[in-house]
Amino acid sequence: MASATASAARAAAAGSVEEEPSGSGVRSSVVLFYRILRANILTLVGFVLVVVVSVTALLVVVVPPITHLILGHSLSILPYPPLDTNAFPYYQAPSLAHPFGTDQNGADVFSNVVAALPTDLGIGFFVAGVSLVLGGLLGLVAGFWDTPGTLSGAASVTIMRLTDIFLSFPTLVLALAITATLGRGEIESEIAILATWWPFYVRLTRGEVLSIKTQPYVIAARAAGVPESRILFRHVVRNLLEPLAVYFTMDVGTVIVTYSTISYIGVGVPASIPEWGNLMYGYQDLLLTAPWTVWSVTGAIFVTVLGFSLLGDGLRDILDPRSRRIVASPGRQSSKLEPSS
Amino acid sequence: MEYRVGAGTFRALNDVSFELPTHRVVGIVGETGCGKSTLGHAIPRLLPQPPAIVRSGKVVFRGVDLLRLPKWQMPSIRGTGIGMIFQEPINSLNPAFRVGDQVAEAVHIRRMRERGLDPTFRRDVQGTDYSRREMPRAGDVVSAPFVPPALVDRAKARSPPVSKELHEEVLSFLRLVRINDPERIVSLFPHELSGGMRQRIMIAMALSGKPGLLIADEPTSALDVTIQAQVLTLMKELMEEVQTSILFISHDLGVIAEMADEVGVMYAGHLIEFGPVAEIFESPRHPYTKALLRSIPNRYKSEGPLPSLAGSVPNLSRMPAGCAFHPRCPIARDVCRHDPEPPFVAAPAGPDGAVHRSACYFPEEVASLP
Repeated sequence: MASATASAARAAAAGSVEEEPSGSGVRSSVVLFYRILRANILTLVGFVLVVVVSVTALLVVVVPPITHLILGHSLSILPYPPLDTNAFPYYQAPSLAHPFGTDQNGADVFSNVVAALPTDLGIGFFVAGVSLVLGGLLGLVAGFWDTPGTLSGAASVTIMRLTDIFLSFPTLVLALAITATLGRGEIESEIAILATWWPFYVRLTRGEVLSIKTQPYVIAARAAGVPESRILFRHVVRNLLEPLAVYFTMDVGTVIVTYSTISYIGVGVPASIPEWGNLMYGYQDLLLTAPWTVWSVTGAIFVTVLGFSLLGDGLRDILDPRSRRIVASPGRQSSKLEPSS
Repeated sequence: MEYRVGAGTFRALNDVSFELPTHRVVGIVGETGCGKSTLGHAIPRLLPQPPAIVRSGKVVFRGVDLLRLPKWQMPSIRGTGIGMIFQEPINSLNPAFRVGDQVAEAVHIRRMRERGLDPTFRRDVQGTDYSRREMPRAGDVVSAPFVPPALVDRAKARSPPVSKELHEEVLSFLRLVRINDPERIVSLFPHELSGGMRQRIMIAMALSGKPGLLIADEPTSALDVTIQAQVLTLMKELMEEVQTSILFISHDLGVIAEMADEVGVMYAGHLIEFGPVAEIFESPRHPYTKALLRSIPNRYKSEGPLPSLAGSVPNLSRMPAGCAFHPRCPIARDVCRHDPEPPFVAAPAGPDGAVHRSACYFPEEVASLP
């Protein structure tokens, strides 16, 4: 929790800022959202990056079937078909026609990198999302009903020891071992990452639940006659959303990095599917001869992960009612005054 | 009442027995760690179990022993039966919700029970006819039949507390605790309010359940002195307006003298003295009470170092044999050191018939102490 001086500063700031964005409902939330983004330039950068990356990924996937339906033939937002061998001269440096140049197979690197975007982003959201739901639920159960000596207490202990077992393996090694066992493929490698990913969410959620449920406001709610089910959802789960959402957003980037690593080693998706780790594997010998190939893929990963990290960091401000009004108040250009807890 | 921690067990409350008459204020005083708060939390069964274990004893509320009540029925006692105000107003409100919604939750719970829409609610335990607008009084113990959960309109019971009527009632409770401009306050988040304001909100929440018993667990300790005075004045006014029994827990003898009708003094988990407030302050019958009174600073002049009591409260895991207070007691004799804990005996009844009890072998000698 914030120190005395910090909370005093906060109270003073809150006191001087009573003006809420006028209007109600959707309109005021949009205004609030805009102010928060404007207040912190890094959050804005993160938000823009995530939007650009997500919209591009969506267009890559959605445009061909829709145009096929309407026009009778598919169009793509990609300038050239990805992984197309011998389409262009080899090893072309970046130019207007090929912004990221061409590779050793004569394919357009820009098309390859963008074509890989939906796969990587989808894997990021899928793995982090399933982990969030699965790990979050298990963590909630393990944290809220942890009374020793009861059936639920035994379940709680079981969940946590299972989590410990999974966490005791190095993530990458366990994921590689599972993919090697299951065989190469998109689903197989996703399962492999998932198996190593959910325990982090269990630990995070359980820790948060344990700290929330002993908060005075939970005891006070109980003393006011609030039934346990309502305490669980209204008080515990509501206060969990913020840390979980922040962690999830940043985690999407982490999953992308880990997944790329796995397919770079050669046990991820089949080589026929454009994916950043795959591309990297193909380009690894070109670092000195045609560096633009490697840099393009690296840059794509970097930009995507950076976007999610920055947005995740800013989400803390957006979701926490304590900082929301201060950050979003008119006339404030930075959120530096707000102590992050 | 015991705490089981690791291999050891701490007896946090022992032999605490008193009655809280309807519409009276009983104060509990004692040093830090003497079990005051444990007592306050143990009555509505708010202590986490484990580590807390109730070994024996009774908490009788409206004729029902709360300690024997099934766990799932406890929520229906809390709020409307026994309300509570806590020590830390800073953290006692959920930071994620506007304060209006939090008061509304408490009002909503009571209204659902008034309408018989709370399936766990037992009117026979609550003993209150909520169709009347005023606070429960001694006479109106009604034994309405227990409403079987199947007959309860569950959808209605879960409906969110948003109605206009409810909003008005929330505002009325905020006005009751002297909050100016409640229309604006309801839409603020807890962090936007000062400690005193938050404690007012907490008091409004506790009162909005219209409880028969209100437990105030050091409601002013975390506030600074001027705010403390405001909150105390408010509580005193509310005692007149809102007829309810109050258990007022505090370490501050001055506050207790101001608020309480009767006082219990606690030491190391024991209730060592209990009686009318005037008697306790004028003629204490336990050396510990005497020492407490002696250490109140004089407001008008400095008299050199304050007399303080040598030693400290015994560790609950290593309680001395005999009377818990004997190592620090100026009048301790052999019987205090070896004999079991002194019985809680009443002094000869005074002229008004009020009972003044204390747990000391030599209550008469206390008066002669400095």
